Amino acid sequence: MSDLVYRHNRITRAAHWVNAVALMVLLMSGLMIFNAYPHLHWGSKAEPEAAFFSIYAAEAGGELRAYTELYGRRVETTGVLGSQNTPMGPTLRAFPSWITIPGFYWLAGGRRWHFFFAWLFVLNGLFYFIYNRANGHVSKFILRPRDVPMLLPMALYYLHLRKTSPQDGEYNPLQKLAYTSVFFILTPLVMLTGLAMSPQIGVAFNWLPALFGGRQSARSFHFLMAFAFALFTLGHVMMVVTTGAVNNMRSMVSGWYREKFHAAEAMALDVPESAPVESTPEPAAETIEAPAPGAEERGGDEKERP
Amino acid sequence: MKKSGPEISRRNILAGALYGAALLGLSGCDKLFDRLQRSRKVQALLASAEGANRRFLRLLTGRRRLAQEFEEKDISRHFKQNGNPPPDAQEYITDAAGGWSRWRLELDGLVERPARFTLAELKALPARTQITRHDCVEGWSAIAKWKGVPLAALVERVQPARGARYAVFHCMDRDDGGETYYESIDLRDARHPQTILAYEMNGAPLPVEHGAPLRLRVETQLGYKMAKYIRRIEFVADYQKIARGKGGYWEDRGYEWYAGI
Repeated sequence: MSDLVYRHNRITRAAHWVNAVALMVLLMSGLMIFNAYPHLHWGSKAEPEAAFFSIYAAEAGGELRAYTELYGRRVETTGVLGSQNTPMGPTLRAFPSWITIPGFYWLAGGRRWHFFFAWLFVLNGLFYFIYNRANGHVSKFILRPRDVPMLLPMALYYLHLRKTSPQDGEYNPLQKLAYTSVFFILTPLVMLTGLAMSPQIGVAFNWLPALFGGRQSARSFHFLMAFAFALFTLGHVMMVVTTGAVNNMRSMVSGWYREKFHAAEAMALDVPESAPVESTPEPAAETIEAPAPGAEERGGDEKERP
Repeated sequence: MKKSGPEISRRNILAGALYGAALLGLSGCDKLFDRLQRSRKVQALLASAEGANRRFLRLLTGRRRLAQEFEEKDISRHFKQNGNPPPDAQEYITDAAGGWSRWRLELDGLVERPARFTLAELKALPARTQITRHDCVEGWSAIAKWKGVPLAALVERVQPARGARYAVFHCMDRDDGGETYYESIDLRDARHPQTILAYEMNGAPLPVEHGAPLRLRVETQLGYKMAKYIRRIEFVADYQKIARGKGGYWEDRGYEWYAGI
């Protein structure tokens, strides 16, 4: 037995997809920008020999060999990072063309995409935040002190080491941890480290690059945070796929999510045979989280939101 | 109830979208972006962020705020030489060897009093020394000590006429194709206290590879704005008639005119 509930309002859905596109473009154009100088440093300046991370290539015996180096530990990455095999032969390239925007080397183009989508990312995020703060949705995924003791039980539940989920709200404690850290820590930091690289911002606020240990440190943190975003997105997509890809996708495209529940629970609800459980609120009722009949009683087991 | 109808079609649409996305991902993502990349409309849209950046960042910055200044111990051991090779014209080479006795800095265009300076005359004017960080558009930074004449003093001297908005720096260096370097900044940045015409780097005369005899320092912007090998500063109302019309050598090749980010 199952029924459809209206899970994501129109604004959330629009903001989600704008955000998805913006993040992808930011990451890929960011890698193009990184390719212009594929080394990372700590501090204010970039002394060539002091990079802690480098992607580079060198000719050895008539062959182009590429290396990726982290704190002096070097791995050969020919054809993957540092050089790329093209129809014209191996070429110098830190990140390969299929993961950068533009796909050819053009720093100016990469910057254009990056800055345009940076504005889109920030304004879209603000729009989402203000709208969902006003309707009380944001407070549902903020991690609160009382959620902390439930983090471990929730992890155990996910690992099938615990039978019952400790979830008591719409979002489980681990989801709250993930969303809270991405929303309130990672996003502000990625914005601030990005801004800290701007010479004009450096003039406006001398303390901002200094806060991160200098402009080159800010650049390194910005790069690392981009990977944190990529990892979060990967985890997010994995959760979408493993908890019912079609159903999850539908809820983020149309807003409607199919709630499944066990027969035992259905019996407990004591729904008369004649009363159709699938009576869902009309889509016209755009007012979010439509209370599906009996939604409260069923608990949150099946309600993981990726 | 009657949910099955729309549900199936929704599922179909969704499945279609997923397949479409997968196909796009497999074969077309590169091509799609390539097409977007080549579209003039898309490029114009993307470039519209430049105005937002300029207004927003300058709104945050007062006119008198200074870039961070560093100490002697922070100076980079290695300051990358970037851009064009030094000019290879015979007169440049002879003049460099002869202590720049033939070189002159010309200031003209929309000004009340055009002027012309020898290097000795510039060095006789009140100077500013600053240890600042040079931020390249490529991502690296280097710190050096610069000494030079505040551009504001020269702007004051020549008195820009009504309508003059930009200072255009005409340079002596050329690229492989023979195109000369040039740059432009507006009068707001030209009058910034740390905007100087530097003739000394790290306590020595400006080396040839860093723009001898005179280069620009604009600490509010990226390195490509800081023209080297300057011979003339022209004051203009707009830069559309100069070279390819975008206000600078790199701007003509797609980089933003406003390089404060």
